[in-house]
Parts: sequence; C-alpha cells; structure tokens
Amino acid sequence: MAAPRSNREFVEACIKSGDAVRIRQEVDWDNEAGAIVRRACELEAPAPFMEKIKDYPGFSYFGAPLSTYRRMAISLGMDPASSLPEIGREYLKRTNSEPIQPVLVDRKDAPCKENILRGADVDLCKLPVPLVHDGDGGRYVGTWHAVVTKHPVRGDVNWGMYRQMMWDSRTMSGAVFPFSDLGKALNEYYLPRGESCPFATAIGLSPLAAMAACAPSPIPEPELVGMLSGEPARLVKCETNDLEVPADAEIIIEGEICPDYKVEEGPFGEYTGYRTSPRDFRVTFRVNCITYRNNATMTISNMGVPQDEGQLLRSFSLGLELEKLLKSQGIPITGVYMHPRSTHHMMIVGVKPTYSGIASQIAQLAFGSKLGPWFHMVVVVDDKTDIYNWNEVYHALCTRCHPANGIHIYRNAPGTPLYPFATPHERKYSIGSKVLFDCLWPLDWDPVNDVPTTVSFKSVYSQEIQDRVTSNWTAYGYPPVK
Amino acid sequence: MNQWEVFVMDVAELAEGQDIELTIRTLNPGLHKYTYKRVRAQVSSDLKKFPDQLQVRLGRGQMSKSRFSIKVLGDVQRMPAKYL
Repeated sequence: MAAPRSNREFVEACIKSGDAVRIRQEVDWDNEAGAIVRRACELEAPAPFMEKIKDYPGFSYFGAPLSTYRRMAISLGMDPASSLPEIGREYLKRTNSEPIQPVLVDRKDAPCKENILRGADVDLCKLPVPLVHDGDGGRYVGTWHAVVTKHPVRGDVNWGMYRQMMWDSRTMSGAVFPFSDLGKALNEYYLPRGESCPFATAIGLSPLAAMAACAPSPIPEPELVGMLSGEPARLVKCETNDLEVPADAEIIIEGEICPDYKVEEGPFGEYTGYRTSPRDFRVTFRVNCITYRNNATMTISNMGVPQDEGQLLRSFSLGLELEKLLKSQGIPITGVYMHPRSTHHMMIVGVKPTYSGIASQIAQLAFGSKLGPWFHMVVVVDDKTDIYNWNEVYHALCTRCHPANGIHIYRNAPGTPLYPFATPHERKYSIGSKVLFDCLWPLDWDPVNDVPTTVSFKSVYSQEIQDRVTSNWTAYGYPPVK
Repeated sequence: MNQWEVFVMDVAELAEGQDIELTIRTLNPGLHKYTYKRVRAQVSSDLKKFPDQLQVRLGRGQMSKSRFSIKVLGDVQRMPAKYL
C-alpha cells in the first residue's frame, strides 16, 4: 500500500479501512463540528469526514486525522493493524534514509491554485473556519496545518504547526514560542529590523506533510516529507511571495507577519487538556491572498484531554527523535517511548545500565536538546522493562525510584507557556523545570545480595512449570487468554 | 440590536459611565460571527441603557454571569496604515 499523497487520498484510504466515517448531514461550523471531533478523539473513534457545512456549500471538514496509531500506519502506507514498535521502526528507517529533495511544479499542475482570492476579495470568513471549542478566543484557521516561512539569511525553510486564530477578515493571530524555529527567526532577525516576515499557511495537507510539520526533526520538512513517503514532495510557488507550498494542499493562505503590530490571541483548548495560556497580544499574520482547491476540505484538530493527533504524533516523533539522539551519543538504550496520554510530557527511556550516572546523562541530553522544551519528565528504566507496557513502567517507577536519590530536578530550563503546572511568571517567560526519575538499580549494589528479585509468573517459575500452567489454563476452567 | 462579546481578566475592566477602549467580537449570526474589532464604547450593567448587548468571558473562556448593554462610539484603528 502506497502512502497517501494528499489529504483526499488519505480520507479515501481511511474510509475504506473503516478508520473514517462519512457524515452526510449538515454540520454547523459553530461548535458542532468541533464537538464531533472532540468526541471522536475521546472515544478513539473513526475520523469524521463532514461533507456538508452550514453556510459553506462546497467545503468539507476532516477531523482528528491522525489521532490513532491505525491512521498513522495508513498515512505511512502500512497495514493499519501494525503495532506501535513496527510503525516506529519504519519511521526510523525512512528518516535515516537519503534525503529526497522536493520538486517544484507549474501552477497549472497545482490543485491548490484552482481558486484564487486577491485584493478586496480576500476574506478569511469565506473559508469554513470552525469555532473548535466553546469559549475559544476565536475561530481557529490553523489547527492541523503548516505555517511555511524561510530564514532570511540562511534560507532554511520551516514548516511549523503554529496555531492561528482568525481575528478579522484579513488578520490572524498566533502562538509562536520563542524557542521554536519561527520564534527564533522573528526574534533574531525580523523584529529588531522592523521587517515583515512572509508566510504561507497550508491547510489540508497530505498526512505525511502534516507529520513533518509537527515533528521536531532537524531535517528540513520538504525533504522529510519525501523521505517519509518515498517520493519527492510536490511544491508550487506562492502568488504573492517567494515561498513554496505543497501543491496538493486544500487551502493556502499567504501574507506577512507584522513586526510592529500585535492583536489578541486565545484562549484556546490546548494539547495539555486545559486552557492554560491566557488571552494575550501575540504574533500577527496579515493575509494578502487565499488560494484553494475546488470542494476544499479543511482539516481540524481538536486539542483537549487525550487523545488527539497533537498528543499522538508529537509523542511518537519526540520519542523517536530522542532515540536517534541518544543512539548517536553511543548510549546503550533499548528504546524510547512517550505515551500520548502523558500529553507528550513524560519520556520513558529503556537502557542497559552499563555505567553509573547513565540516567542522568540521558536526562541532560534530552532536556538540553531542541526537543527538551516539549516535555519535563524523563523516566529511565532498565533493559528488562518493556517501555511500551505502562504496567511495567509504573511498577518500576513506584518501586525502584529512590525518593531521595532517584529524583533529580533541573531548574531554569526552557519551557512552554502551556505547562498547566507552571506559575504565571514561568508561563509568561517560557521558563521550565524538569525532573528525572531514575528507576535503575544502583550499580554499586551487589547484584545478588542487594538488588531485589522480581516476583512474577515469568521470573520465578521454571519454563517447564510455565508451559504446563499455560497449556492447562482453559482446562483449569479459565477463559482463553487473548 | 447587535450582540457583542468581550474577553477580560476582571469584570472591573468594564468601567461604567466613561468612554473605554475594548476589543469586541460580533455574535451576530452570519459568516463574520466571532470576528473582532477595536472600539471606543460605553457600557452599562443596565441592560436597557444602550442599544446593543455585551456578553463577557473571562481569561480562560469562562462565561461571566455579568451582562452589559453597550454603545459603540466608534472604531479604533490600531493597525499601521501600511498593512491596510
């Protein structure tokens, strides 16, 4: 099965496999669509493809595109029943392959140019921008999308998933954290010079383009899309600036980020499951042009309590990118996993404890890396603990982590304003605190006389006894074990 | 009659009996529902004093029980002319 090359191919593949449902009755953009997506997330239900939107004939919504591992597997062209470790191995294999450069296509071959609004015709309200959660500060244009920018000096292209709220017909405001690629470019270059930063927001991306925009990979996103899909990403020039955008995207919004003007943004239901960051004056995007496909589909992510695609995909990619980093440093890890239900705050690392201080080394690398601001907890367990099995990790955390010796706190680290536990001061200045839970038995303990032995079916009985009990299980009167 | 909504951290920001500047969004049905503008206005807890109605939300989107009537005196343009 090939990876879907567009959002449309992805929707069809998901419907075919039973991982999306086609909703034919009219849905209101004002709360109802958002509520459907939210409920689908909380039930881990098929993704809703809403074909008829009130006030917006010809447009549709696709919600919760990647909020299950099944849909993530489909996006990679894999069997939807693939296990998480299988999906992870495939991601690592593809992202460790040779970069595949994007190709630039002519605008006549770019479906995103089928309709073009310029000048006085530009009006964001012509798009079915949803009110995602009741009480949000506005209708959110960008919830599952890519904001495309280019560094003015280095020329680095950045696709980032920076949320964008519609302020008025031609203005959006968004949360751009100072440690993000766009945040650095704005603070280092554009704002001090008072220069506008060209941007393009691409909505309704292929799932792998969305994955690339969401992943904290050091690989430029257009190349990453190619590596993930196995073929070059198709890009096309914008109408009003020099940026290049995915040609098969459903909607493109072009404009400039204002260096000298801010409007209010938020509050918004966030990936942590709360509204944490208050309404504030944030980065302002002025819109100059809108292009879109015929019968365009707007993608919606509804963030909140687990699990939504932000949690799932960021957990997935953060864990795997940290795995790459730790392996590059020669640390004998067995794997890295971040459970989406941690709202990508807890990193679980399995390691063969071959030397003292290895957990601390892992934590310092993790927190000190570009990935670090997105999580604040690292749990290090040994190589015999299954990092994907929360029961085992929880048991290790509660029994092997010494309350005085095993918990290490790191203060004054980069953080996000969205940490629900952070003080108002910390949120305002993106100040974080981090914690390591070292669940390894100390190497200076005698392995025979000091280290406790685990008591479980698999660890204390001989293989012969285990086999006998297992094979007789139903004969004892128990139902079969699935 | 128009329906408006405002976000404040504290309802005390809505001082009665004086001209104040507010960022308000329209709740009128239609394609432009929830779009904002900056205005000079007067507000009153007497719901009949002014022609339009103002609903209030707090910092995290919580609906306030306080309701006001509002008179929009004029738009305030903060955006630099080069972006208009």
